[in-house]
Amino acid sequence: MNEHAVRTEDLWKIYPQDPRPVEAVRGVDLVVAPGEFVVMAGPSGSGKTTVLNLLGGLTRPTRGKVWIEGREISALPDKALAQVRLSRIGFVFQSYNLLPVLTALENAEFTLLLQGVSPAERRRRVRRLFRQIGLEGIEDRRPPKLSGGQQQRVAVARAVLGEPALVLADEPTANLDSATADALLDVMEQLNRDNGTTFVFSTHDPRVMERASRLIRLVDGRVAEETVSGDAA
Amino acid sequence: MSVSMKTSSASVTCARGNDGRGGLLPRLWRGWREGGRGRAAVNRSTRDIWWRMAWRNLWRNRRRTALTASALSFGFVAAVLMMGFMNGMMEEMVSNGTEVVTGQIQIHAERYRPERSIHDTMGGREGLDVSALVAAAAAQEGVAGVAPRLYGGGLVSSGDETVGAVLMGVDPELERRVSRFASVFVEGRMPGPGEVAVGAALAGKIGVAVGDEAVLVAPAADGSTGNDLFTVSGIYRLGLGGFDDSYALLELGTLQDFLAMSQGRIHEVAISVDRVRDADPVAESVAGAVAGLSPDLVTEPWSVFLGQLYFVVSLASAMNSIVAFIIFGMAVFGVANTMLLATFERRREFAVARALGTSGGALGRIVVYEGLLLGVVALAAGAALAFPLLAHVHANPIDLSFFIGTYSFMGSAIRPLLTVEYSFVEPLVSAVALLGTGIVSALLPAWRVARLPPADVLADR
Repeated sequence: MNEHAVRTEDLWKIYPQDPRPVEAVRGVDLVVAPGEFVVMAGPSGSGKTTVLNLLGGLTRPTRGKVWIEGREISALPDKALAQVRLSRIGFVFQSYNLLPVLTALENAEFTLLLQGVSPAERRRRVRRLFRQIGLEGIEDRRPPKLSGGQQQRVAVARAVLGEPALVLADEPTANLDSATADALLDVMEQLNRDNGTTFVFSTHDPRVMERASRLIRLVDGRVAEETVSGDAA
Repeated sequence: MSVSMKTSSASVTCARGNDGRGGLLPRLWRGWREGGRGRAAVNRSTRDIWWRMAWRNLWRNRRRTALTASALSFGFVAAVLMMGFMNGMMEEMVSNGTEVVTGQIQIHAERYRPERSIHDTMGGREGLDVSALVAAAAAQEGVAGVAPRLYGGGLVSSGDETVGAVLMGVDPELERRVSRFASVFVEGRMPGPGEVAVGAALAGKIGVAVGDEAVLVAPAADGSTGNDLFTVSGIYRLGLGGFDDSYALLELGTLQDFLAMSQGRIHEVAISVDRVRDADPVAESVAGAVAGLSPDLVTEPWSVFLGQLYFVVSLASAMNSIVAFIIFGMAVFGVANTMLLATFERRREFAVARALGTSGGALGRIVVYEGLLLGVVALAAGAALAFPLLAHVHANPIDLSFFIGTYSFMGSAIRPLLTVEYSFVEPLVSAVALLGTGIVSALLPAWRVARLPPADVLADR
C-alpha cells in the first residue's frame, strides 16, 4: 500500500492575465494519507478549487509536482492523465454536474462503464450503493426530476463507485439545505469509514469542517494553517 | 479489462475445474471464450452509451433539431428532385434524339463512317444475309426493333423544281419499330415498291402532293446514273429541319434496284432498345451476336454515333454532381454552425465527462454520432417526402407549355414537360452525401469538444 494517497511539492498555479498574472496557488506542499477525511477551507479566491483541480489532474501546475499513490501525474500526457482520473480519482462538484441525458443509475455507473466493468456487475454495485445511501427507487429518473440532495448523492455515488484512491469534493454542500447537507456528509463519512476512501474537500461550510480529520486553511494560495481532528472547530 | 471480470471468469473456470470436467486446455479455452464474451459485452455497452447519449442529446432541443434536420431533408429532396428533373430532361433529349430516326444502336460496315460512301455497304460489295443480320440482332434481350437501311445521294425533281436529297431505303414494317417516320405522315403513307415519301418541306420546295410523280436521279453503285419516275406515297413532318427538307424515303428493295445494288447490300441497321439507358450493354450483346455474319461490322450505341448529344448528357450529369455538392456543401456550414452552438451550450457537461476520465476522442465521437444521427433523421424525413414526390411527378409530368412551346435542341425535339426519371443511384448518392454532411458538420465541433480544458470550463473561464 502506498504511504500517501496524494502528495504535492511546491505547487504553483499562475494564470496569465492582464495587467499582471494571477498567482492562484503559491507553493503548496501537501500530504494526504490513505483514508483521511481532509478539508481545505478558506475564503473565496484563496485557491481551494485550483488546488483540487491540480490534485485531480484537471489542470497542470505552473510549477511543482503532484503524486497520486506515489505516481507523479503533473507531467503525464492528456490520455494518461484521463486514465488516472478514471481509475484513481473521483470528483464531486458544487453544482452536482450530473449528465442530464442519463438517468440516475446511468450517471452513477458512468465511471464503472468507462472502467470496463461488465453491465451486470455495474448494476449490482450501483443498486447496492443506492440502497446504502437512500437512493432506491430513483434509478430511472433523469437529473431534472431529482432534488438537489438526490442529485448530489448520485454524484457521490458516481465518484466512489469506481473505487478511487481519492475523492475530491469541491463545495459539495454549497447548494444543499442543512438537513440534506448533513445526510450527504453522513454518507461520505460512512464511505470513508467503511471503504477507507480518502476524501479531500474544498469548502467554507462549517458543517463540513466539523467532520474533518484534518483541516487545512488556505489564504492567498498558501497553506496558512493545518489543524488535526479534535482541534478543528 | 476490469479486475472484477477476470475474477468472474476465473471463478467460473475454477468451478468447472472442481467438477472434474475437461483438462487444462479445454478449461483455458472456456475461460478465454467467456472472457471474450465479457469483453465484447463491455465494449458494446461503452459503445452503446455514446450512441445513447448522442441520440438523447439530439432531442434535448427538439425545435433546433427539427429545424436543422429540415434543412438537411430539404437539401436531400432538392438534390434528388433536381437530379430527377435533369435525368428526365436528358432522357427526353436522348429519347427524342434517338427515337426519331437514328435508333439507340447502329451497325455499319467498319469503313462506312465518316465518309458514308455508297460503296461501303456491310459485307463489302457482296453484301450479306440481311434477314439473318436482322434476326440475330432482334433476338438479343433488350432489343425492341431492328431496321435495315440503305442510303444514296441524288436529286428529286418535279416540274421545273429540283432539289438535292438523301435517298433512304427502308423496310416500312421494320422501320415502324425503330423510327418515327411512319407515325408522322401528314398525308399518305410509307412508300411501297415504285413509290417515294418525302418530307413536308421538300414537298413544298418541289411542289408535289400525294399521288404526284417525282423524278429521282442518283449515281448508282455500278457507276451508272439511276433515273426513274416515282409516285409520291406520302408526306411526313418529323419536326426536324434536316429530315423534312432533304430526305426522300423509298422501299429498301426499290432503292437497291435504283442504285444497282444486290438485295444483300445495306449501309446501316438501326436498332431501338426497350430502355435507353441500357443501350451500351445491349449494343455489346448485339455486337457479339452479329460478329459471325461479316468481319467488318461495327456496332455502336448512341453515345458513340451521337457524340455531341452524349457530351451534353455527360455534362448535365457532371453538373448534377456539382449542384448536389453545392447544396450539401452549403448545408455543412449551416449544420456545423448549429452543432457548434449546441456543443458550446453543453461544454460544461463535456468538461465533467472529461474530468471523470472520458477521453477526448470518446467525447468527440459522441458529437460525430450526433451528426450522423441527425443525418439519419433528416434522411428518413427527406426520403418520406422525396420518394412520393418523385413518383408523382414521374407519373404526372409538370406541363410548362403555359410558359414555353416545344423546342428543338441538337436534333432532338424537347417537349415543355418537366418530368423526372430516377434510379436507385441518385437517391443513394444523395443519401450518402446527406449522412456525410452530418458527419462532416460534426467534425469541427467534435474536435473542439475533444480539446476542452476541463478545469477552465468548470470554472467558467
